[in-house]
Amino acid sequence: MSQAPPEMHEQWILRTELLWAFGVGVFVAAALSTILFTALTMGVNPPSNVERVDPKALHLSGEFAEHNLGTSVAADGSVTVRAIATQFMFLPRCIAVPSNRRVTLRFASPDVIHGLLITGTNVNTMVIPGYVAQIHTEFTRTGDLLMPCHEFCGLGHSEMWATVRVLREEEFRPGPDGRISCAQ
Amino acid sequence: MQSERVENSELDEVDQVDEAALARVMRSVPLGTAVLAGSAVALLVLGYLLIYLLIFIPRGSVG
Repeated sequence: MSQAPPEMHEQWILRTELLWAFGVGVFVAAALSTILFTALTMGVNPPSNVERVDPKALHLSGEFAEHNLGTSVAADGSVTVRAIATQFMFLPRCIAVPSNRRVTLRFASPDVIHGLLITGTNVNTMVIPGYVAQIHTEFTRTGDLLMPCHEFCGLGHSEMWATVRVLREEEFRPGPDGRISCAQ
Repeated sequence: MQSERVENSELDEVDQVDEAALARVMRSVPLGTAVLAGSAVALLVLGYLLIYLLIFIPRGSVG
């Protein structure tokens, strides 16, 4: 080692490591700043909703009973979608939503853990029995979007998918009860 | 001990690298490592930024 050049000395190695650590630090700070900036200015946040629901009595519950599933528009104009993820289908199979309008998606499971994503959007969540999975989003593209189950839930998992039909504002006409489905 | 000495001497015979040449090469090795690691990380960061700015952000917010 006595013949090693000065560059090989520990001081030089330390200097290189510190420089590298500085570069990594700059990147981490930039990434965190970007996340913080988009969270504060654009509302980009991970969905966080802890809400219990009895998975054994979903069909008896007021909210996730069969007659209450699908898209409904409240008197204040807010749009809420309620759906059940069950082995091996989503109920309803097709969900109608308006474009360029804030939509609240609420999902529950009566059996096992499911997951879902809506293609071309950032909607992506797990649906865990006993909890309500809730996401707020705004659909900007009209047309049919695929919503598959993305958590293996059994032998029929690959057949478990639904359609999200994003309608233009003039096409989105709920009935007198405030409900709208893909058939309308 | 005897066998160890024999093994070492065999290795010395195989290793024909000149000390000065080794030092010359080793002078540029840290730079090469930094360039290689830097390029790999820079590509990774670039990919992350492109996906974040061109795909994730235009898709709109969820929360």
